[in-house]
Amino acid sequence: MAIKFTEVSYQYSSPDGSLFDALKNINLDIAKTGEFIALIGETGSGKSTLVQHMNALMKPSSGQVEIYGIKINHSKSKKQKLTPLRQKVGLVFQFPEYQLFEETVMRDIMFGPRNFNISKEEAKQRARKAIIQVGLDESYLERSPFNLSGGEKKRVSIAGILAMEPDILVLDEPTSGLDPKGRDALIDLFTLIHNTYHKTIIIITHDMNIVHQVASRVLVMREGELVFDGTSEALFNNESLNKWNLEEPDLIKMTKQLEQRYSISMRPFPKNIDQLFHHIKDVI
Amino acid sequence: MITVEHVSFDYHSQPDVLKDVSFTIDKGRWVSILGHNGSGKSTLAKLIVGLLKAKEGSITVDGIVLNEETVYQVRKKVGIVFQNPDNQFVGVTVEDDIAFGMENLCFTREEITKRIDKYAKQVGMEDYLSKEPHQLSGGQKQRVAIAGILAMDTDIIIFDEATSMLDPIGRDEILAFMQQLKHQGKTIITITHDMKEAVLSDEIIDLKEGQLLTHDKTKKVLQDKVTLNKSNLELLPSLKLYHKIKEAGIVNEELRDYLWQLSLQK
Repeated sequence: MAIKFTEVSYQYSSPDGSLFDALKNINLDIAKTGEFIALIGETGSGKSTLVQHMNALMKPSSGQVEIYGIKINHSKSKKQKLTPLRQKVGLVFQFPEYQLFEETVMRDIMFGPRNFNISKEEAKQRARKAIIQVGLDESYLERSPFNLSGGEKKRVSIAGILAMEPDILVLDEPTSGLDPKGRDALIDLFTLIHNTYHKTIIIITHDMNIVHQVASRVLVMREGELVFDGTSEALFNNESLNKWNLEEPDLIKMTKQLEQRYSISMRPFPKNIDQLFHHIKDVI
Repeated sequence: MITVEHVSFDYHSQPDVLKDVSFTIDKGRWVSILGHNGSGKSTLAKLIVGLLKAKEGSITVDGIVLNEETVYQVRKKVGIVFQNPDNQFVGVTVEDDIAFGMENLCFTREEITKRIDKYAKQVGMEDYLSKEPHQLSGGQKQRVAIAGILAMDTDIIIFDEATSMLDPIGRDEILAFMQQLKHQGKTIITITHDMKEAVLSDEIIDLKEGQLLTHDKTKKVLQDKVTLNKSNLELLPSLKLYHKIKEAGIVNEELRDYLWQLSLQK
């Protein structure tokens, strides 16, 4: 197991001194390879706090997070060596494109690996590899990151994390603010990275259509609690969906309506319109 | 009424962002302007409120030709809500923020106070008047921005991707508002790539690489495969199925109507 949460709670203190439970008694296992996890839940439900525990940017108030054998809990001193695990678990924040700052794309991508004491030569080589991995070409390396489109900037910032060669890639709302074309291209990229390099990918998203398309496992956060951990198929069959203020993906919603209309069953749920059409063409 | 005639625009040295764009938006209509990132949608919005100046062509709002002398007259008629709730919160508190636009229009203090109460209530933020922006969610900040625009009582309101950074609940709140405003007789322009938003509007203007591709009734645009193929609109599944059935040569009017109705549900 790469990451293991055992009874993890986290409390923020407000300026007025009151405490706020951001995470409540979380138990969770995440494998080193092969998982494609969607982490969903309302704004303020604790998603970002949860992922920041995954590479020890935050420490639990109580309970323990074990990351690649390193145990993180409240009592441990600040001197602990956390660098190796930050390299293993790469975290891409929301709107990473605002965090580009170097003169060239090459230097920006090299920044991460250089922080982990990778030699300049090696970091350059990794940058060349990473820019290809994110679907751009080497000509981008000499360009200024500030003259790129929004989608390209996002790719460059993801390349910066990939160049650290993490096992696990965590992305906080990576498609927010993109148009449908940009969103699909990015989702295709994550699927490719997942399939080709067998990395575990965890994405925070509000887009239930993405959850349906790509996630093999879904985690639902609600008011600091992990209320669901299972397959997307099981989630869309779960009657609590409404209670958790989650909306069904458009395709699932329509599938259920058509099931009722024609008194048929279409399970597992179709992943696209062609599959759905195949199910209903004989009854319509 | 807004008339845009042969408008072109560029951001220096770059190729034209808008190329010879013409259209008319009638009073009381809800029009969606669609197109990918870089299609010129947001530029168009900024031109209509005079934040940018067209290189060629003219823009007329309620009979006033937009130019440097008339820009403040036009801004009394057109309000705009931007994409990022954090970038447009200018007040220290909710109350200040709603007042900001009215202060610029030189309303009396008495009138401003009256309107803050009225419009804060209308957007459901009356209990938050003394709150600061960091105490609000994204959806709440957008509602405050909308209250500020409503308080200026402009006839035309532009929403420039105003829902794209909100979660689904925040988005649905804002969509419900747009419908309310339309009922009140406001002219609404929504710049969006969310088809759930677009399908609720009366008309669609589709931009591609700075050119006007389509301008027609929403129903006509979304039900006509020829128009759709020209554009890059991302259809909702119900409309995809609608067209799939049509292409397969299956005649079932009842199902087609049903699917159209489904696409209108939020």
